[in-house]
Formats: sequence, C-alpha cells, structure tokens
Amino acid sequence: MKKLCKKFSVLLMVLVAGIALVGCKTDNPNPKPPVGGDVNPDYLSLDDYKSYMVYDLENVVKNISGQLDASVLKLVNAKKEAGVAAMNAAKSVKEVQAAFKTAKSEIANQIPLANGVYSFISLSNEEKTEILGLLEAYGVRNGLTGISLYEDAAYQMFHPRVTLGTENYIIGYGFGTLAEGAITADLATEKNEAWKRYYHIIEASDPGTIYYHNDQGSQVGDLYTFMSAGYFTTFMNETKDGYDWVPELAKEKPQAVNPQTDGSATKWRFPVKTGKDGLKYNTNSTLASRQAFDGKEVELEDYLTPFKLLLNQKNGLYRGAELANQTTAAIKGAQAYYNASGKGEADFSSVGVKVYEENGLEYFEVEFVNPMTQFYAMYYITSGLYMPVPQSFLDLVGVKNFLGFNENKTETPVDNSLSLGAYTLERWDSGQQIVYKKNPYYVYASTKYAIEGIHMNILTAASSDKEAGIKEFLAGNTDAAGIPQTRLDEYKNDPRTRVVRGEANFKLNVNATDEATWEYLFGENGTIVQNPKDNYWKVEPALSNAHFVKALSLSINRKEYSDARGSIASVDFLAPNYMSDPINGITYNDTQAHKNAVAGLLADTDGYGYNLELAREYFKIALAELEASGKYKPGTKANPTVIELEIAWMYPWQETSDHNELKQYFEDAFNDDSVSGGKYKLEVKFWTGADWAEVYDNKLLVGQYDIGFGSISGDPLNPLAFLNILSSDAGISHNFTLNWGPNTNDPDVDLLVYNGYRWSYDALYLAANGQTIVENGANVPAYQAEMTDQKVNADGSVTSTVEIQLTLPEESEVEVQNVVMCWYQEGDEGYKEAVVLEATVVSSADGKVVLTITTSADLTAEFYGEMGFDVIFALTINGVTTTEMASVYGMFPMLSE
Amino acid sequence: MVKYVLKRIGLALATAFIILSLTFIMIKLLPPERTTGQESQQIAFYEEQVRLGYAYSFNMEKPELGEYLYKTNGSSGKSTYYYQVPVMKQYGSWLKNIFTKFDWGVSRKINPNVKASVIIGERLGYSIRINILSVLFSVPIGILLGIWAALKKNTMTDHVISTLVMVFISIPSFVLIIFLLLIFGYKLGWVPTKWPNPTDPLSYKILGYILPVFCLSFGSICGYCRFTRAELCEVMESDYLLLARTKGLTKKQAILRHALRNAMVPIVPSILAEFIGILGGSMILEGLYGIPGIGKLFIESLEYKDYNILFVDMAIFTTISLLAGVVLDISYGFIDPRIRMGAKK
Repeated sequence: MKKLCKKFSVLLMVLVAGIALVGCKTDNPNPKPPVGGDVNPDYLSLDDYKSYMVYDLENVVKNISGQLDASVLKLVNAKKEAGVAAMNAAKSVKEVQAAFKTAKSEIANQIPLANGVYSFISLSNEEKTEILGLLEAYGVRNGLTGISLYEDAAYQMFHPRVTLGTENYIIGYGFGTLAEGAITADLATEKNEAWKRYYHIIEASDPGTIYYHNDQGSQVGDLYTFMSAGYFTTFMNETKDGYDWVPELAKEKPQAVNPQTDGSATKWRFPVKTGKDGLKYNTNSTLASRQAFDGKEVELEDYLTPFKLLLNQKNGLYRGAELANQTTAAIKGAQAYYNASGKGEADFSSVGVKVYEENGLEYFEVEFVNPMTQFYAMYYITSGLYMPVPQSFLDLVGVKNFLGFNENKTETPVDNSLSLGAYTLERWDSGQQIVYKKNPYYVYASTKYAIEGIHMNILTAASSDKEAGIKEFLAGNTDAAGIPQTRLDEYKNDPRTRVVRGEANFKLNVNATDEATWEYLFGENGTIVQNPKDNYWKVEPALSNAHFVKALSLSINRKEYSDARGSIASVDFLAPNYMSDPINGITYNDTQAHKNAVAGLLADTDGYGYNLELAREYFKIALAELEASGKYKPGTKANPTVIELEIAWMYPWQETSDHNELKQYFEDAFNDDSVSGGKYKLEVKFWTGADWAEVYDNKLLVGQYDIGFGSISGDPLNPLAFLNILSSDAGISHNFTLNWGPNTNDPDVDLLVYNGYRWSYDALYLAANGQTIVENGANVPAYQAEMTDQKVNADGSVTSTVEIQLTLPEESEVEVQNVVMCWYQEGDEGYKEAVVLEATVVSSADGKVVLTITTSADLTAEFYGEMGFDVIFALTINGVTTTEMASVYGMFPMLSE
Repeated sequence: MVKYVLKRIGLALATAFIILSLTFIMIKLLPPERTTGQESQQIAFYEEQVRLGYAYSFNMEKPELGEYLYKTNGSSGKSTYYYQVPVMKQYGSWLKNIFTKFDWGVSRKINPNVKASVIIGERLGYSIRINILSVLFSVPIGILLGIWAALKKNTMTDHVISTLVMVFISIPSFVLIIFLLLIFGYKLGWVPTKWPNPTDPLSYKILGYILPVFCLSFGSICGYCRFTRAELCEVMESDYLLLARTKGLTKKQAILRHALRNAMVPIVPSILAEFIGILGGSMILEGLYGIPGIGKLFIESLEYKDYNILFVDMAIFTTISLLAGVVLDISYGFIDPRIRMGAKK
C-alpha cells in the first residue's frame, strides 16, 4: 500500500509538474477550450464559426424574403431552420460548410426557376430600382462590385468675381456656373479687352478637334458640349437644389406613336424647332464660304443629317459604331444600315428615324427596337451628337474635316463647325488657347448663360505638374482650379473653395475566380480570351473566399484614406450621379434598394465600411474555411504560410501616393498576431504597367491580376443598363468587366430571386433592359444558325443551304431581309469583300427556318475558298422585333478542279 | 572645296536617312497601339488602322502573321481578327509616300487629320526663334565674361566668375525655368506664367521671350565663358603674345589684335555646336512654358504615340544637327586660314 501510495504520489507530482509546465507556456497563456474537427484553436473556435455561418444563412433568407409569397417563404424558413440545426450539430468546419451548402440548396429548391420570355423594360422607376438593388447585392455578395474606396470628389476654388448658380453642388448638374452663374468683374490679367469677362479655365492639353462623333475620351466631348444643343437640356430648378428637363431643340416632350398599355412605345415623335421658330446656326468663322451659314435657318431635313453621318460605316466614326451597336437604346434598322453602308449598299429609309410635317407642326420621329418610356425616349435622343447640321455644310467642309482642322490647317474648328448651343467657337490657336463666344441665336440666350464667353488656356505643364492649375489660379489667371492633394490643408477651408461631388467611384477590382472559373473564362478555350497554359494566371485562392474579401474591405480606413486625397469615402459601387429617378433627380445611392445591397458592408463599421477588429474576425473565418478546403496549410511563426496579393495600378508614382497606405491597412490587419498567431503572413505587392491603360488592357479586362485599381463610367441616367459590366459574358458586358467571379449565367451560383422566381444574373439583367428568353433561370440565345449544305449546280453556280433553329418556335417570327456574302482572299493584301445577295426561304416549320442562297458561277469561280454568309433577318418574339445577323461559314469549291 | 562640301552634305543626308529608317523600324517594332472601349469602338479603331495601312483584318485566324491585335466576338461565333501589317511592309509604304509625294502622313491625335509636315512647319518657327535669340544673347555675354575672367586671371573676379560658371553650368534649363517662373512669374508677376497667346499685345509677347531665352542661354553663357577663358589664358601665355608685347604693343592691343583672334578659332565653331545642344535642351522647357515649338511637339508625339509627327520631328532634328555639323566643319576653314577643307596635298 505504501509502495502504491508512493507510486501515486510520483504520478501526481508528474501530473502537477506537467500541468505547471503547460501553464507556464508564455506564447499561449489562455488556451481556448478544445474544439473538434479542423478548426485551428489558435484563431477561431468552432462555435464562433458556426455563429457566423448561421448569420450568413439568415441573411440569405432575409435577402430573398421580400420577393417570395407567404407559402414559399414558409417553406424557405423551414429549410433555414433545418439548416441552422444541422450547422449547430456539426463537428467541424467542413461539416458546417456542408450543412450551409445543403441548406442553401434546399432553400433554392423551394423557389421555381424563371422560364419563358421576359421583358421588364417598361417597369416603373421604383420597380427597376428594386431590380437594380437585387443585381447590385448579387455583385456585392460575389465579389463582382470590387472593394470601393472613394468617390472622386474634389475641392475646387472659384475666383471671387464668379457668382455660381448655387453654392451647393447639385449631383448630376453641378454649380450651374455657366448656365445660371455670372461674372461680376474683369479679369485683370486678361490682355484682350473683349475677353475680360469670359470664364477663364485651363486645359492640360489641346485635343486638336471637337469631333465628338469620332472620339472616345471625355475632353473632346466636354468641348463639344459648349457649342452643341440637344432635343432637351437641364436647367437648375427654382429652389436651386435640383434640376428640370426642358426642351432645347424640341418644342415639347415626345409623343408615343404606338403606345402600349403601360405607356411605353417603340415609336416616339418629337415636335422640333426649325427656322420657322427662329432656330438658326451660328459661326464666328471669317471665311466667306462659312459666313454664308451664319444665321442660316435650321431645316427639318437637317435633323436627319447627323444620323446619316454617324451610321455610314465608311465614315468610320467611333460614335457611329456605338450607335449602330446599341442594345438598350437600339434604333430600328440602324445596325443593318451601318453594316450595309460599309459594304456599299445601304438604304437610309430602313433606319427608324424620319422627319415630317403634320398639321403645321414639324416632327422628328424615332423607332427604337425596344419599347421606351417617355423619359428614356427623350433621354436617348437628347445627345448633342444628334444636333442638326445642314448636309450642304458637311459637303462643303468634308466629313473628315468636320469639327476639326483640314489637312493643311488653313481651316480651323472655328471654320468647320456650326453651333446651335450656348456658345460658338471664336478662336482656336493650336496648343495655346481655345475661345468660345456666346451664341446670340441660342434658344435660351436671353434668359440663361449670362457669361459672355469661355477662354481656355492650354497649359501643358499641368499634365506633369499637379500644382500648375492652382498656381495659375492663385496668380489670378483663371477662374477655377482644383486643389491638389499637396495643398489640401492650406486651401480646403478657404472661402473660395467648394466641394465638387464625384462622377466615378474608384475601387479595388477583385479577381474572385477560383482556378476552374478562371480557366473557363481565360483558359485555352476561354470564353473571354484564350491563353496558352504557360500564360495562366495563378489565382490566389483566398480571393475567391467571400469572407476574405469582406475582411479586406473592412480593414481599409476609407475615411482617413479619402480625406488625405480630398475625396469622399464610399463603399458604393456607383457614384452619386447615377440616378434611379432621372426625371426627379433622385440618386440611386439614396434609395432603400441600394442601402439594402450594401448593408452588409456597413454593418458594425464607422459608417464607411471600416472596422479593424471585425476585419480580423473575418480573416479568421476565411482562414478556417480555406484550411478546411485544403487550399492552405498553416505554417509556423518562424516560417509562416505566405498569402501574396498583387495590386495593379495605373502609374508608378501610385506606389508611394496610394499603394503603400493600402498595403499597410491590409498587412496590419491580417498579420496581427491575433489573427493566425503568425502562422500566415499577408504580403501585398505593387504592379504598374508602362502605360496607364495597361492596368485595364493587360490586367483587369483579361483576368491577369489579383486586385487592380480603377474605375469605369457608364450612363448615369440609366444605372440599370450600366450593370452589364458585372456580367462574365463578354457579349453582355461588351468586354468591360473589371471584377471577375462566378459564371453569371448560372442560377445555382447564388440565390438571385425576383418576383418569386430564381434567376441567373445575366437573365435578370437582360430582362430588365430588354427582352430575353430564359430557360431554367438562365439566359439562352433566341436562335442557332448553321450552313448545312453547299452543292455545285450544273451551270457552275453554288447553292448553299442555311438553317436557323429558333429557341421558341411558337412565339417567334422570322423575316429574312438579305444576305451578305463575305470571302477572304489569300495573299499579302488579305482583304475581305462582300456582296449583297437574296435568299429564298424554302421551308419554315418546327421552329426551323431553311433558306437557300445561290451564288453565280462567276462569283464562285472568282472567289473560291473559305467564305461565309451574314444572314440579316427581323426576329419578332411576342410582338417585339429585333434585327439579327446570323453568320455561317462554308467553302466555295475551285471549279476548275 | 565644293566637292568636299557636296560630299559632306550627301553623307549627312545618308546618315539622316539611316537614322530615320532605324527610328521608324524600331518604333514600329514596339508593341502596337491598342485601344479600350466597347467592341464597336474597338472595331472602329482597328478598321481605321486597316485604312491607314497599319493592320490587316481577316475573318479567320492567320497564325503566320503572328499574334492578332484584336479579335471581335461576333454573333454566332463569327470573329474578325486584326493583325499588324509586317513592319518592313509599313516601312516600304512610308518611304514610297515620302519620296513620291513628300507625304509624311497625317496626325492621329495631336491634330487629327492634319498633315504631319504642316504641323511641323507651323511650330518650327517658335523653336528656331527662341534658339536663335538664345544664341544671340548668350554668345556676347559668355565671351565677354570669359575675357573678363581671363584678364583677371587668379583674382577674386576670376574666382567668382569661374565658381558661378561651374555651379550654373550644371543646372539644366528646364530646372532653371521652374525656379524662375515661380519667382518672376507667379510671385512677382513680372513675366507671363506661360507662353503668350497670339492674341496678346506685342509688349506682352516680348515679355514672354524673357524666361525661355534666358534659361536656354544660361548654360551656353557659362559654356562660352569657360571656353573663352581657357582659350584666352592659353593664348596669353604663348610666346608670340610675349613677342607682341615686347615689340611695343599695349596689353589691350596685344589682346585685341592677336590673343582674341586666335582664341576665337575654336570658339566660333562651338557656337554652332551649342545651337544644336540648345535645340535638344528646349524640348522639356517648351513643354513647361507652353511654347508651341517642335521640342514640345516631339515629347507630345511620343506621349500620344503620334508616330507620323514623331518621324517628321526626328527628321528635322536630325537634319539640323547633321547639317550644322557640316557647317561647323566648313567654318573652320573660314575662321582659320591654315585649315583647307578637302584640299589636295
């Protein structure tokens, strides 16, 4: 017994010593209770993880509950409860994840998938805003909206002699400086007496033209705006807190020609002003040939000239290509005319624009492909690009020289432009100054635009010296200047300073794809671009984890970051100038739909999406998930596992001015001992290209990045249409997608519920902006076309058979218009040519339209080899007609063989 | 002599041709220009490239032409592929247009649609005026300072001048103009803060010359001063000058009649060399002061990749430099009768 007691005492001592040793470990003084499964107890307990996942599941249901009827919602809630119970019973992260996934899938199963032909284009602004909110929320959840940093607001100083239209910046309008403002004293430094009361500003470069019809940038557009007029314009309202739409070239609001029951229509007519109403062209040219146009009355036919100019492919105008390929605001027949005009045969009467007189009133009428509400019919036709111009003027100056210099520079833009806008070009000295003078014929000349002119000095130093502008301002040479970052503290509170709200939200765009999705989009057979294996981007697995991306977002002190740059902190995807109700000037970011979409980004933060502790919590959750899925293995404090993120920037100088601060936010948050106890280390690297555009071209647009800084602007009065850039389908996004994540045409990726149905992102987006066919929640093409046969006839001609298979034969009607044959000649020149042929529809049954095209023996003999047909046809589905072009390929035989 | 001059001019033109050819080929070997925007806009851009003769378009892939520039995502899977025209083919067309039509192409971005040669012609005058004024200003001052320093050799005056010369010769003209602009333009308001506009009064336009001419001259003044001092000091220590003094000439007479004339032999040709140097130095200065000259144009054409302008600008710079070299060589013969260019032994 004594021996037994002795042994027990020794064992007890060893036990006590062991406990004491464990208790004395300095690096883990307060060990968390042991947890099961695969959770690393050093940085997250299983219970904590469960609570976050339950919160996530509750949010899933919360997000969709407003779109479900009571019976479905009851089933959904039941599935949620079952899911919560399963998650609570789980023994590991993997089990919790599986339970979450099962619950989400079960919830999805209770909601029917959308099927059929849908169009929500005629919905009210409120209803469209609701869809916009759902799409934005989808983007936020799936990393497609990136991590917003700030709105590009700025501090601007104004000369005391300038009286602004309003002291408070109106979003989407401005201060009304020119339209409602005034200049009360001479500018002492201006040497030209006549220009002393002109509004003086500087431009960093001379664009050499105001040919906005053929330009992509914003500078030319801004210069053109001074002298252009639209069908409508906006002026500040009486209370000086918003703006009103008023007719400019039009006489009154457009009238629906073929109104539908909901008030929308595809055909709209605009009563317009002409010379009979006193509308006259203005020029300050001193050339006799141009002076003949000064005071010339506007004729009704002049309203068609800009469309003829833009839609002639031979003119090669950027904005023409854009107009022809419009989707939301497509004009009937525009695309077909554009394509045909490039091939030499075009009939403008097929384009849906015309002018006519009726009961003494003169009308411009437009036919859109999609039905439009009155506002959007007005809005889409209001662009200054469609300002009338006499054909005789275009013939005189030539299409190439219009709004610019001629080849020998004997004519300037002053000579080659006509104004109907508030100002007219007065002088253009290349690289030195551009001057506008008030247009005395302008329709609102007597009531608006009191300022006599605009003088722009070209100050090239401003492109490299960020302080050049403010130095000119402080020297009294200009009327306005932005305050650079280096002078913010000095002039931010100056009485001459005003805050200008932004028109773009700059963000960190995120590559949230996993390896499989990246390969699908950018791999050898990628749907966006094709890359050989050795050019594959090594995606960072952490970025496809939503909790990790959320943690990155939470770790940025946006307020501090933005204040230092004179900007406004923001987690919003869209800038404040995007309007959900453009008629009444209601910004989308003020709507409940938007607030719901970003609620998750702002909850428990400083109001700008920053909460360091919460960021660290989310890092822990992300690490638990990433470890459980085997994507990372923890290292040791001495040799931690490194997660490397590269941020791509536009300019080298951004490394010190922007990157390092963000790097510090991320690394300080993640590398804190409380996150992983040193087992992981986040390293943030800097990248920049040789040119600012490389971050877009070589990185963001082609998926070769982790994180990239940048922004993109869209149509501020139709934000719903702008959300195309969240799609992973290049056909929808027009190759403008900056953030990549899941396949947006897969309805099972995430729960996107609208009106009781489940949708893919693409399907709901397309339905909201036009008409689309939806099958099992996903968008499907309306037809498939292929060349099924080619045979040589006895006379040497070739008859080709083309089949167009319709997706919805019952609802669809096809009317073949013509066929354009293309062929390719081998050799150095390698040109392509085309002729227009006629097609014969030989049968149309079972949703299959079969047509034959016969090519003469001469053509066949001349152009043997690879060839193709573009079959142009009108496709009508549920009464909505669109012009389609199906391209099919074949081979002409060499007849001599 | 005439044969020698013609030979030198021929060689200069041949050198210019080689330089321009290499410039063209090397620039065209850079990654071709691309654009961003919607597909329709991309198509318009590349179709323009096709029209300009810089690109081909095909409706099928042509791997033999290398990597395509852009591929459209046409409906029903149809795509158009744009390829760069081979550089040597572009070079051939470029030469053909220059030699047959003196057509250097048109500007794409700086002055869209305007002939590159017209743009250069318009801007050349500004640069030449500034540079000639700078030479006219710097030569007398520089030489006089040099003579003064040489005459006061090893005195405080000489030390001060030499030290200042060493300091200021190291400051590039574009650094100097930033500094002077801040003081005399922005702080004191004595001179325009940018190059005056054509509509400004004549007096203001004249004031506009002060800063650029002064800044461009500063380095030259220092250079001439240093050079003149060195040459004059050497001559003044020579035996023949001692002989002249012992023959009874006053110091002034000896310097004016003998020392200066001999010291000028290497100085005068250096004026031409300096002119070429100033042309190069004015590139950045023109941009900073907004002078619409060919120097600023050169930088802009590089920045905007407006290569047609770049090539004409290069041609001007190269030709001026090479011909100045020829004139420099010939000038030796006029200044120093002992040198006979191309003379037979």
